[in-house]
Amino acid sequence: MKEDYYNKPFIKVNNISFSYNDSKYILNNVNASFKKGEFTAIVGPNGSGKTTFGKLLCGILSPNKGDILIENNDLSNISLGKLGQKVGYLFQEPERQLFNPTVFKEIGFAHSFMENSEDKIEKEVEKLINDFSLDGLKDSSPYKISRGERQRVALASIFINKPSFLILDEPTTGLDLVRKEKLVELLKDLLKKGIGMIVISHDNLFIESIADRVLEISGGDIYEL
Amino acid sequence: MNFDPRTKLVIVFCLSSLAVFILDIQYLFFILIVSVIVSNFFKDNWSVLNRIKKFIILLIGITVIQSIFSPSGDILISIGDFSLLTTGGLIKGIRVILRMLIIIISATIMKNSTPREIIQGLIQWKVPYELAFMVSLAIRFIPILAQEAKDAYTAIQLRGIEISELTLKKRFKLYSYMFMPVLSGVIHKAKELSTSLEARAFRAYPERTSFMKLKLIRRDYLVISVSMIFTLTIFSLYLI
Repeated sequence: MKEDYYNKPFIKVNNISFSYNDSKYILNNVNASFKKGEFTAIVGPNGSGKTTFGKLLCGILSPNKGDILIENNDLSNISLGKLGQKVGYLFQEPERQLFNPTVFKEIGFAHSFMENSEDKIEKEVEKLINDFSLDGLKDSSPYKISRGERQRVALASIFINKPSFLILDEPTTGLDLVRKEKLVELLKDLLKKGIGMIVISHDNLFIESIADRVLEISGGDIYEL
Repeated sequence: MNFDPRTKLVIVFCLSSLAVFILDIQYLFFILIVSVIVSNFFKDNWSVLNRIKKFIILLIGITVIQSIFSPSGDILISIGDFSLLTTGGLIKGIRVILRMLIIIISATIMKNSTPREIIQGLIQWKVPYELAFMVSLAIRFIPILAQEAKDAYTAIQLRGIEISELTLKKRFKLYSYMFMPVLSGVIHKAKELSTSLEARAFRAYPERTSFMKLKLIRRDYLVISVSMIFTLTIFSLYLI
């Protein structure tokens, strides 16, 4: 039963094509599937459509043709809010997803709009602050901390929803070697917990240290390496 | 047919001035029709009308608010003693809508000129380069700001917040959070821009050389003259 759960694709991409402003297709008839508990790295040259692919998978963009299924449900029928509760998306520029004056408020932000009690939110935020090594930054502004710290705040903010799947766009940009190693450890822990991941990255060392699969996007198509 | 950006600026200036100074609704309606025709002539399609459709609810809202806060004349719709729509308020609301439409539609005339052309047009009109550059920056940043606001809205929802399930009060509170990344983005971009301007020696020399030179040709002079005559005629007819 458990094996079957992990073998079923969490995200299934069926023949999708996408173009900006009806110009040439960036992605043309692309098929792929992604399971939980698996780390898939997406690589490819600049402008090949990696970030576009990530944005299509989390509903920010809609394909011109084809469909994307999340747990067998058509993505076009799922609102961004509902999707955000299952799939966490880390933007290439983490400041795009930070909205609050302090790190503490930032992490608890999503739950403050749900019917959760303040005590419960506080407990969860404290746990995440600890998990993501953000002690000492609780009252700092997310805009005045280093890029690596901001990256961790953005990740912790996603994690409060306990997502089943993560899509991370260039998560190692601006991280030093120590921080990168810590990120790898953190992601490995999450993989053990059964969380699936798609990571868009140019960082070969990072990919080699953690990826189960590597897919390359090139010329509008996707290839398994 | 492409015209000199200065010709288009004159048309926009004439139409917007008429919209601001004239109070009569019939005149404003006539100017609106002229604006739509002129805008369509310059852009070769009717996309401007499709865009305005999106603003209809906003425009109706403005009419009602105008009517509530400046009631006069006969009451058309009332709730108890409270007059919701009056004839005077309705006229004022329609006037605001017509003015806004004229200004928005006439501004679309500039759409097929690049910021570089506009800046050059202003410089050749002896507008100081710094001011002309600021105008072109403002034009360039409008779509970027709009995109950032859209991204912030998407990012908020991807945090797992189902906006449609929130109460109106919570929804407004949520929208207020969108300002943070947009404002931070604007400040960040302004800082980067000022640094790169300094690095590229902006204003290092009093005189600037430009490869681009705009030249008004006969049809530009003709359109400018027609626009001026049209504006003066409408003003005269309105004042008489």
